[in-house]
Order: sequence, then C-alpha cells, then structure tokens
Amino acid sequence: MKQETKKTNPTKTRGKRTENKEKTKKAILRAALELFAEKGFYQTTTKVISRKAGIAEGTLFNYFETKEDLALYFFERELAEVMEWYEQDRRIRRAALAEKIFAIIHHFLERLEPYEDFIGAVYLRALVPASKLSPWSLENQERNLRYLRFIRGILAEAEAAGELPPVGDFGAYAFGLFNLAIITYWLQDRSRGKEQTLALLDRCLKLSTHFLKKGGWDW
Amino acid sequence: MKRAYTETGLHRGLRLGKLGFSLTGSYLGYQLQNLFLNGETRDERRKSFQSKTSRKIREELQSLKGPAMKIGQALSMQSHLLPEDVIKELANLQMQAPAMHPSLARAQFKASLGKYPEDVYRDFTPEPFAAASLGQVHRAVTKAGEQVAVKIQYPAIRSAIENDFKMLRSTAFLGRLTGHVPASVIAELEQGILQETDYVAEADNIDFFREHLKPLPYVKVPDVFRQLSTDRVLTMSYLDGEPMMEFLARRPAFEVRNLVGARLMALFNYQFHTVKAIHADPHPGNYLIDANGAIGLVDFGCVKRFSPRIIELNQCLRDHVWTEGEEQARRILSLGCGPEIFKRPRVAKRVLEDAIDLYVMLFPSSSGTRNIVDFSDGSVLKKCAEIGNRNFRDKLMYPEFVFTSRAEMGLYNVLHLLGAKLDLTAIEAELNGLATREPAKIL
Repeated sequence: MKQETKKTNPTKTRGKRTENKEKTKKAILRAALELFAEKGFYQTTTKVISRKAGIAEGTLFNYFETKEDLALYFFERELAEVMEWYEQDRRIRRAALAEKIFAIIHHFLERLEPYEDFIGAVYLRALVPASKLSPWSLENQERNLRYLRFIRGILAEAEAAGELPPVGDFGAYAFGLFNLAIITYWLQDRSRGKEQTLALLDRCLKLSTHFLKKGGWDW
Repeated sequence: MKRAYTETGLHRGLRLGKLGFSLTGSYLGYQLQNLFLNGETRDERRKSFQSKTSRKIREELQSLKGPAMKIGQALSMQSHLLPEDVIKELANLQMQAPAMHPSLARAQFKASLGKYPEDVYRDFTPEPFAAASLGQVHRAVTKAGEQVAVKIQYPAIRSAIENDFKMLRSTAFLGRLTGHVPASVIAELEQGILQETDYVAEADNIDFFREHLKPLPYVKVPDVFRQLSTDRVLTMSYLDGEPMMEFLARRPAFEVRNLVGARLMALFNYQFHTVKAIHADPHPGNYLIDANGAIGLVDFGCVKRFSPRIIELNQCLRDHVWTEGEEQARRILSLGCGPEIFKRPRVAKRVLEDAIDLYVMLFPSSSGTRNIVDFSDGSVLKKCAEIGNRNFRDKLMYPEFVFTSRAEMGLYNVLHLLGAKLDLTAIEAELNGLATREPAKIL
C-alpha cells in the first residue's frame, strides 16, 4: 500500500488519478488513526503521520491541510459507510422509525468505538469557534448536509407512511442535534458495554416518536 | 370527562417526558413509559383486549402517583379487590421493562456478552416470544443444535431501580410512607427486585432448584448454558408447554385443571418444607403446562429462602396448635409478628383470629378426614386480601413476608384461575410419604 502511493503515475487517466488519490487519503487516515489511538490526537504530529503512511510530509499537506481536515475526512468516511450499510440492510429499512433511527445511531457509535479517545479530542477541539471541526463551521456543515439529507429521506418515508406528522427539514436538523447529544453522552458513559447509552437512546426515541406520532403534545 | 382525561394525559406525559429524558434513569420511568405506551398502543397491539377492561386498567394505572404508590401496589399486588383481568394485567406489568426491538436486543446482547447473537448461536430469532422480568426472551439454537431460550435484560435497568429506591428513601417520599411501610420492608423489596437483575444469581437458582426438585417427576426446570450467559443474558434450555393463561384459554377439562392445581400446591408445599426455598414469582406466565400436565418452571429471578421461624409458624398453623391453649396461641403470634405485638392486645387478637380463619379454611381439619378446599369461587383469595388490607391498616408489615406472601397469593390466584378443588391435607400427607388413601388419584 505504502509503495503504491509513492509510485503514483501522473500520466494516468483522470478517473484512475481520483481513485489513487482516494487510496492515499485512506492510507493517511489509517496511519493517523493508529497513531491517534497510540499517542493521542494532540501528541501526534503530521510528520509522524506522513512517515507512517510512507509519504513525504509535503505530500500529506496536498491531501490534508491540518489534522482537523483529517478528522473531517474521518467523519465523512464513517457517515458514508453508515449510509451504505443502511441501504443494504433490508430488515432495518422495513422497521419502525424508532428502530431505524436507533440502528443508525448505534451503528455509527459502534464504528466510532475503536477511536473513542480520538473522538473525545475532536469534540474538545470543536468547541473552539475558529476550528474547522466546530458545528458552526460552514465546511463542516456542508459535509454534514449529505448525511442530513439521507436522514430527511428516512423521515419523509415515515411521513408518507403516516408514522410521523410532516416535520420537514426541521426533523433532520433535530436528528443532527440529537445525534450530537447522544455521542456526547456516549463519550462520558462509563457503564459496562455503554448500556446507559443504549437505554437513553431507546427511551428518547420511543418517547419522541410517540409524541410526534400523536401530533405533538396534544394527546 | 374527555377533557379531564386529556389533562391527566398531558400532565402524565410531561412527567413521563421528564423521567424519560433524565439522564440518570428511573425504573419507575420505565414502568410509567411502559404503562403509558401500552395504554396508547393497546388497540393496535392487542385487538382482542376488551375496551371495558382496558379502561378500568387505565384508570387503575393512572392512580399510580409515584414510587410510593408503586411500592404499595407491589406489596399488596393481589390483595386489592380488583377485577380479575386487572389483577392479571397488573401482575403482567409488575416486573416488565419496556419491550426491546430487535436492534436494541441485539445491541444489548453484545454490550453484555461481547458478541452478537448471530456469532454465538446457529440460529437466533430477533423477535422475542415472551416477556420476562426486566427483559424479554428469544428463541435460539446453539451451535451444537440445542433449542434454547435466551433471556436478555433491558439495558441499565439495575441502576434505574437503584435510583428509584434512592428517591424513595429521600425525605419527600419517606413522609408519605411514614408508618405504612417500614424501612426494613423497603430494603427487602429493593433487595428482592435487585436480585432479579442478576442473571448469574438466577442461573445459580435454576441449578439449585433443578437439583432439589428432582423428586417431583412432574416438575421441569431448564438447564443453564453458562458459557452463553452473563449477568444480563441468560441462555437456558427451551421448555415445552404453554403458559398458564394460554393453557386456561383452551378451557381444559376440570380433571386436567385440578391435576395441575394439585401439582402446583404440592410443589409449593415441597419447596416450603423440604427445599426451604421458594420460586417467589407468582406470575402465571412462569408456569408452562405441557400435554401431560407437567409443570415447567421458568423465571427464577425471585427466590426466597425461608427462615426456620417461618417454617415453624406455618407448621403451627397447619397443625391447629391454637386449640392446645393460650400458650400455643401466643407462640403463633410471637413467631409471626415478634413480641412487640403483645403491646397491642386488640391488634394481636385480630391477627390471631384472621390467621385461624385462614388456616381453618385451608386445612379444615388436621386429622385424617377428607376436606376439599374450593379455590374456584375466589373465597380464599378474598380472605387473604382482606387480611392483607387489615395488616396494612394496622401497620403490620414484616420484611420476611414481603415475597413469601406474594408467592402464596400468586399460588392461590393461579389455583383460583384453574378453578381447583383440592384436599390440601391429603396433598401434604402424600408429600410426607404418609398418605395411605388413594395417593395416585391426588397427584
């Protein structure tokens, strides 16, 4: 893998080039994640990352300007994987809305599990207003939009099936905030197997879908 | 009326929401959520359920005002004179956590066992086939091909229960309870309910009872698969047979019902006198009846071991020792209530009379004549309920009796549902190997 990235041939077709680019990005991310798990997010330098990925430090900057960009790429990849997984799981696609949302968030958390420390560091970093990782960063929001559209699609299906009153795009935003809250709780959860998160997730979803189904609070 | 209901609903909903979103969690929260969500989705989920009963139950459930009431209800579960269906429904709700959808059950399984069900079983059914205390039960087939039942506990239920009891002990609730439920009773209740959250302890109980109930050929206890179990996941061999309520719904002949009743009574007595420990969860769903009238016992979460004092008390009452004079009557009172009871002579007299009434009803004669107790008319259950209410009123509550009386009331309730007519003296005599009269006909 390392060899391949070094030998990238500039004369190859455009499609091949994008493919190789993506491969290199993945290789860098893999190296970075290993190092983050080992040394922590803040202690890991771009120099060490590029050495581990088998590329020059300058090359790394062609792909990721900062470690924050690496983190953004990480989340983008993970979210893309969640969407792919959802499309392929036929049982979940037929489940009730509360279960769908549960399964989506749980699947995401499960993917994040090996990188808990790294995610924690990213969360702290996201508190800095100027950070690219901040929830208010437009770049970050742009990347998130694809995911929110995916969620919006699921909510729209539920609306069409009469499972939900029309919630519009607000539903997707509410989901985004809820997802963030759950990840924050999950990071703090010291219960065995993080079962408190499971319980919280389940109860919140059951109650909120129940309220929404009944048309708000008037039941 | 409609308006009033909406307001109550909204109020309850806000309260529920608060509980639901509180991060610490509360068992009561689960309970209310469960009751409430059940109420709202009842029509969809259980079309067969009659609306009249449903309304009654809802009214009943709405009267649950907080943990204090919840505990009161737990203590006197079957002693309030409620319609049978309501008792049934309350008994069902008693120890049930909210249902888990397949994704949650699977996630919780992994959180506890470290692997997904599909990785450790050859086959696993994502939908549960039964509700269990604090969780639900799924069917599965082990890699070796054994049919098993897998009980999965709802996540974080233990800490939720602990939180509730913490709240219960706090001043606000204590005020409401003062004089009614002594701290020792609450402690016993907490210990008993928490015991049910530990499936390792339950696995030990299953092994204990399987060993000790061997002499009763008509009682079946499952095997435990320890390597596929944790404190929150319990894999047991699957027992054939249908739950008591389904068995009854088929309207079996009196002889069959009575045989099952006699066996249940014998099982109870055998546990009391020989095993000295009892399966104390009276939920009718915990008895599985097979085609031959054999009884499969499931759910060993709540097990109580008897102190010699309670066994002695029971024997005294069965033997009608009060007929031997005041000394013996005082012995009964002191075994049951402790010496403090003599400071309240009026209450002591009432307690003794009630105990005598009940035991004369159950064991009409301690001599060898045949005496049939008719459970079908509910008079035994009613008598127990009346006594329970009087004891509650006179603030006579003892931790030792919390779960044993629950077990006993549960048994009488099932015998009532079975419409059993039993000769308790003969059943006991047969168990003691003393019976000479037609033993084969009794069991």
